[in-house]
Amino acid sequence: MASALKIEGVFTAYDKADVLQGVSLEVEDGRITCLLGSNGSGKTTLVRSILGLTPPRAGRIVFNGTDITQVPTHKIIAAGIACIPEGRKVFPKLTVEENLRVGAYQERSDKVASARLDEILQIFPRLAERRTQLAGTMSGGEQAMVSIGRGLMCAPKLLLIDEPSLGLSPRLVKENFDIIRSINERGITVLLVEQNVHQTLAISNYGFVLSKGRVAASGAPAELATRQEVRDAYFG
Amino acid sequence: MDAGLFAQYVMNGLMLGMMYALVAVGFTLFFGVLDIIKFSHGDVLMVGAFTALATYVGLHAAGMDSNWFNLVVMLVLATLAMALLGMVIARYLVMPLRSAPALNTLLITLMLGTVLRESVRLFYPQGANPKPFPALLPRSAIDIGEFNLRLDNVLMLCAGVLVIVGLQFLLNRTKLGLAIRAVAQDEETARIMGINFTAVVLITFAIGSGLAAFAGVMNGLYYNEINFGIGLYLGVIGFSAAIIGGLGSIYGAILGGFLFAGLQTVGTVMLPFASAYKDVFAFAVVIAIMAWRPTGLIREKISERV
Repeated sequence: MASALKIEGVFTAYDKADVLQGVSLEVEDGRITCLLGSNGSGKTTLVRSILGLTPPRAGRIVFNGTDITQVPTHKIIAAGIACIPEGRKVFPKLTVEENLRVGAYQERSDKVASARLDEILQIFPRLAERRTQLAGTMSGGEQAMVSIGRGLMCAPKLLLIDEPSLGLSPRLVKENFDIIRSINERGITVLLVEQNVHQTLAISNYGFVLSKGRVAASGAPAELATRQEVRDAYFG
Repeated sequence: MDAGLFAQYVMNGLMLGMMYALVAVGFTLFFGVLDIIKFSHGDVLMVGAFTALATYVGLHAAGMDSNWFNLVVMLVLATLAMALLGMVIARYLVMPLRSAPALNTLLITLMLGTVLRESVRLFYPQGANPKPFPALLPRSAIDIGEFNLRLDNVLMLCAGVLVIVGLQFLLNRTKLGLAIRAVAQDEETARIMGINFTAVVLITFAIGSGLAAFAGVMNGLYYNEINFGIGLYLGVIGFSAAIIGGLGSIYGAILGGFLFAGLQTVGTVMLPFASAYKDVFAFAVVIAIMAWRPTGLIREKISERV
């Protein structure tokens, strides 16, 4: 299997302290790869590095054979990476439809964008009912749908999903994970960043565990579930 | 009060309100995309007015006598030049200070305003004196009782309405407007959506500064005179109007602009013995409004949810 995303020896720092200390990992094409780790292990920093929001100070990030390490964010998105950010981050004062349309910002053709919008509204009929509602007035679960739909609007090759279960009820978490699985079945490669170990491993094909800015363990889900490093990463 | 006189006051108030609103919208746009106050905004307006005047002098010297043609060229040139100036200020003065405290941006743009003002005073021929601004619009008027309805005022008001409607259309109905609004709400998420943040900021500064140039030309046509100090005055008023409106809402800025003009007009009517105090009255009311509603008249309806 080819890898869609290859991260080689990445160091990323805010100011002077390195948060990531030589992270290397690969995300296989067409699969769900998960990145586990406790709070402060560097998961979100890695996502920010991939997106170019906090570019690494050393190391390489290669997407589909192209080096994107120092590329500006909007060009990384144009290359086919999308993100469902931590905390959903819907635009509160844009309507549901406008939120979704922002997701297709890089799409030049209005026709294509509108066709995708219809597709998303079919997947989430609830959003179709609330097309003209301001996203900031919706419930957390509905905002999660907006955020997921928005991430799909640019028809990404690789989707980064940062902590989708954060702040959601167990029922909604399960729903969200089902949606992630179906997104992957549509052929989109997924990098799932999570704290929630068991549900995440249940839908992933491969996993990495991040601890204190380094990859502490990696392997197939069944293997990771029993590994001591995973427990250490969370409780150690 | 006589109805005709009342209509006259309303008309004057609307003219002033339109200019103030156009300036206030700029403050709101800049605050929206970058969370900064750009205090040189009023002086950009003044430079815009002087650019238009210099263009007129040039056209006139070249033997161009068509008022309409001259006015259009002046407007286009002043607007484009200020749009460019706005972009240059954003790119080389405001954006590099992004990681510094917002107070630094406020200070540095305040200083830039002084530089612009003093440059015009020193380097524009006889810049220290008030300059006559040509009356290029048809000056015919209709008298209705005591109300003298001037065609040039009506035309300016209509042009102002068109500009504001155009801006609304741009912000609410186009992809660029969607990008500006997205950046204003959440810069980082906007970038994750593939929006080129720097480009959107520069375009927003170009739009705001172009509007200021338009207001500057309007100011010249209305008073038939400009001087190097108009920017400071209009800048402070535009800023107050934006603050009254809640700084962050375009509608609020427009409302604030007309409200301030309304206050000045009321001040003129109520204090006929001392209409020179109309600004004191208007600013005093602004202070009272700020004490009553510290976040402006238009309040946020949405609370962020986790």
